[in-house]
Amino acid sequence: MKRRNFLQTAAAGTAASLPFFLNGMPLQTMAKSALFSNVNPDNDKVLVLIQLIGGNDGLNTIIPLDQYAGLAQVRGNIMIPEQNVLSLTDTVGVHPGLSVLRALYEEGKAGVVQAVGYPNQNRSHFRSMDIWNSGSGAEETWSTGWLGRYLDSYYDGYPEGYPNEEHPHPFAITMGGNVSETCQGWAANYSLTVFDPFSLNPLLEGEGGVLPDTPYGDELAFLRHSIAQTNAYGEVITEAANLGANTVVYPESIRLARQLKNVALLISGGLQTKVFVVSIGGFDTHANQVLEDGPLGGEHAQLLKAVSQAMTSFQQDLANLGLEERVLSMTFSEFGRRIRSNASFGTDHGTAAPLMLFGACVNPQVLGENPEIDGQIGNSEGIPMQYDFRDVYGSILLDWFEVEESQVRNLLYDDFTYLPILNTCESVVSDTEQATPELSVETFPNPCQAGFTLSFQCQRAQVRITLFDAVGAVVRQLAARTLPPGRHRIEVDMSKQPAGAYFVRLQIGQQIQTKRVVKLGSF
Amino acid sequence: MDRTTALAGRRGRQLHSTINTFTTVTTDLEPYAGVWEQAQAAHLLRRTTFGPTKAAIQQAQDQGLDATILQLFTDLPLPEPPRYYDTEEGDDPNVLPEESWVEAPLPEEGNVLPNRRSSLQAWTMGLLLNEEISIREQLCLFWHNHFAINNSVNDPRFWYRYITTIRSQAWGNFRQLCKDINIDPCMLRFLNGNQNEAGSPNENYARELLELYTVGKGPFAGPGDYTTFTEQDVEAMARVLTGWTDTGYQTTDPEEELTAIFQPDLHDVLPKQLSARFGEEVIGDLGEEEYAHLIDVIFVQDVVAQHICRKLYRWFVYYKIDELTEAEVILPLAQLLIDNDYEIAPVLQVLLRSNHFYSILNQGPMIKHPIQFVLNPIRQCGVAFPEEVQEQYPLWYRLHELTDNMDMAYYDIPEVAGWKAYYQQPLFYRNWINSISLQQRSRYIRNLVVNGYTPAEVTLRMDPLAFIATLDDPLEPNAMIAEIVTLLLPQPLEPGQLTALKEILIPGLPDFEWTLEYGNYLGNPDDETTRQAVQSKLQDLFVGLFNMAEFHLS
Repeated sequence: MKRRNFLQTAAAGTAASLPFFLNGMPLQTMAKSALFSNVNPDNDKVLVLIQLIGGNDGLNTIIPLDQYAGLAQVRGNIMIPEQNVLSLTDTVGVHPGLSVLRALYEEGKAGVVQAVGYPNQNRSHFRSMDIWNSGSGAEETWSTGWLGRYLDSYYDGYPEGYPNEEHPHPFAITMGGNVSETCQGWAANYSLTVFDPFSLNPLLEGEGGVLPDTPYGDELAFLRHSIAQTNAYGEVITEAANLGANTVVYPESIRLARQLKNVALLISGGLQTKVFVVSIGGFDTHANQVLEDGPLGGEHAQLLKAVSQAMTSFQQDLANLGLEERVLSMTFSEFGRRIRSNASFGTDHGTAAPLMLFGACVNPQVLGENPEIDGQIGNSEGIPMQYDFRDVYGSILLDWFEVEESQVRNLLYDDFTYLPILNTCESVVSDTEQATPELSVETFPNPCQAGFTLSFQCQRAQVRITLFDAVGAVVRQLAARTLPPGRHRIEVDMSKQPAGAYFVRLQIGQQIQTKRVVKLGSF
Repeated sequence: MDRTTALAGRRGRQLHSTINTFTTVTTDLEPYAGVWEQAQAAHLLRRTTFGPTKAAIQQAQDQGLDATILQLFTDLPLPEPPRYYDTEEGDDPNVLPEESWVEAPLPEEGNVLPNRRSSLQAWTMGLLLNEEISIREQLCLFWHNHFAINNSVNDPRFWYRYITTIRSQAWGNFRQLCKDINIDPCMLRFLNGNQNEAGSPNENYARELLELYTVGKGPFAGPGDYTTFTEQDVEAMARVLTGWTDTGYQTTDPEEELTAIFQPDLHDVLPKQLSARFGEEVIGDLGEEEYAHLIDVIFVQDVVAQHICRKLYRWFVYYKIDELTEAEVILPLAQLLIDNDYEIAPVLQVLLRSNHFYSILNQGPMIKHPIQFVLNPIRQCGVAFPEEVQEQYPLWYRLHELTDNMDMAYYDIPEVAGWKAYYQQPLFYRNWINSISLQQRSRYIRNLVVNGYTPAEVTLRMDPLAFIATLDDPLEPNAMIAEIVTLLLPQPLEPGQLTALKEILIPGLPDFEWTLEYGNYLGNPDDETTRQAVQSKLQDLFVGLFNMAEFHLS
């Protein structure tokens, strides 16, 4: 693939309209012109974000087969019976409703990242969604989206001067009624809302019903038509929709399926949009997550089945259309849910959760360890974070959109750690697991009182060790430096900590492990 | 029996009558006696003010239609005149601090014309923003549009005097207003009345007087004949109006008064023969009073009443005047105006009290002009201004700039005939809407709700949390959205649209999550991240709502 220097407009050198602040923070060392990165014009990769709105219960989605004893104790009323779970690996299974994940995993076209979250988990829907959308840390409030910033670094001055001959198509599309915050750039949102390609925005255009035969109706019709006309992208969308064609039948009763159908249609029709955001709501399963008399039914199962059916059609359509290697899909949700279920056959807001990737270029693996499900855990505990969601984002920017690593750090955070969640798509998928050095992590005593010892071994590696509390807040950093090879011990003082469960997260090179430690109350 | 003689209470035309009552006319103009609820009260206030708040609508609702009409037409003192806000000490030694510049000549050195201009423009926006239940500012804008001027007269004191003349008789006597505008210094300068001299008459004003201000142009009836007047009339009337000039333009002399004077030497004293359209009247030399007499002669034509009533109708009701409306509303109103000796108040009150006005057909189809579009959300959603008046000026000026960008700048109307939306067939109001203006409106919405405007030190931005706190039930998302929509839109939305709005607020989440998240903010109002999270959802909601086609309508 060729690379050539490609600066978007004449103003690029002066960076006249470039934001001097990245998310409200002044750009210090970065020379402004350096922010204009090279766009590889041959990069035709597409990212489809599938937002699971409400906080998906990851523990019932990606099921730790080696934790059934613990699961039975803490969420017996909602857990999926072992014999119904579809296995991905020896120790990891998937909810039977989400059968597409197993099917694609076996074809080497799906992957899972365990326990994705962020330090100091916020359990408010609004706040946590803002964090996931903006790619910020939990303490910051950024008004741009992670994809918006990515696009801002290439397309100077947007939206002024767009669309143009070079870029006649929208950079991003949100299927549905509202623009996705992920695509919010400094000056404008990059995504266009497309309800369906032939009726772009129902809020602005109405439901297509008959308007009253009154002066009000007349003026309203005129205004709606005028507003539709100002949509500079209206024509190219309709054109792509007319040129494209789906090759499979989608389950029309499922909204997500209709959205994905339109995504495939538009890509097949030649639309050069890089990002599509689709969504499915209803994951906030505080109650009736499963049916009282049958954990295989219930709201969560319905939702996962909907996702499964929609994705099955979508991936098949993409394969038929020869688009499998161009399209990467990723699910994300604002948080996972509690480890313990509640009495209403549901779960409350939790901490981290797995996310799923689909596409021919996905590294077909389950990245990360199963969580430890201890029968004694408290009500407020969620799955502790193993991977920072920004590492997932950054790895996609790097591998999928060919963004330079230094730029990835600018767009997300300095501590970005690359994750091998994608492969190059050119080599044959091998199912030999990469040999990873054994870390032999131990914590003792556990449970502890005044403190405990953390012991592990590693090769020479960058090590970052963090102590979290039961709800995902950072207690303190235990280590953040390069260590020589060998076995290491760290004494962790817990004398000032309240009794309860804690998690030690070790990030050693690219490996991550989390260990649960309990501090007892004083007698 | 034709309609005109069927009218009760007609007493024949009397000049200079002192009556100030009104008579009931046709069914459609009969006083509305139906339900008086939120919809009707809001409709009246939407059309007569620049955006009613919830409190104002409630007040109108509670006190009833009659009391609200009375309140709208209650005399008010003239406002304090404008002051400088962006000058430094010594820029204008003629004006003491805390004083207005409207009485002061220009300083000998330096150029404060731009400062006076922005002061007046800003101050005017301030008046529109702060007006409560009164029709005065709406009528000032109406008359400004009727007797249009632009900014070529480069002395803001002239504009101030012109608009004050209008403001002091906003719902007064139309004939008198015509007379006063005729010799208004700004108008004399703008339409070259001050160059209209015996021996070299300038027809500019005379033509506009006939074509725009009084009789209007009728159907073509022959060369130089427009049914309502002829070219001969234009020529003759120009001669009638000779001899007037303005004084004090851009003066630095404190002794020189800003006024209009009559110079007998420059006045054409020969008789002026009007056409058959004016009964072939001959106007002799009446000196200083001749222009007034001319207005009286013009006003003998009934079409003057019809012309101005059509304009009032298009300003307050709708632009389409079909045969039925002409017959049942315009003509009877015109007759009423004549019967009331051209007093505007009683006639406008009849219209605003009428069945016709409250017909459901007339609720909602008016496309908001730029000034309405900019000011409505600020007034209706209680966007806060700083306490200090001096800090308000730069914000007011920013709003003026916005309306100017949208081609509706106060004191700078592009056409002598007024803004196109109020006369240009066939589009009328639709003239305000095109791809550029829609983008401007959309950008304004985003800036008002999200980014804010910070022309000086203070930021003007909507605070959605403060606004929803004034609603009946902000904790319940459906009730909250329903109330917002009822307050801000002229007609109900489709259920699917309400759902779509709720989807913006709480996408994919159950209703109770709004109650929880908003409730959490109420319990922790100082927690910045919680506030931001809830606020950004509300911002999305309002941006979505204000961008709807329905929000462009009033």
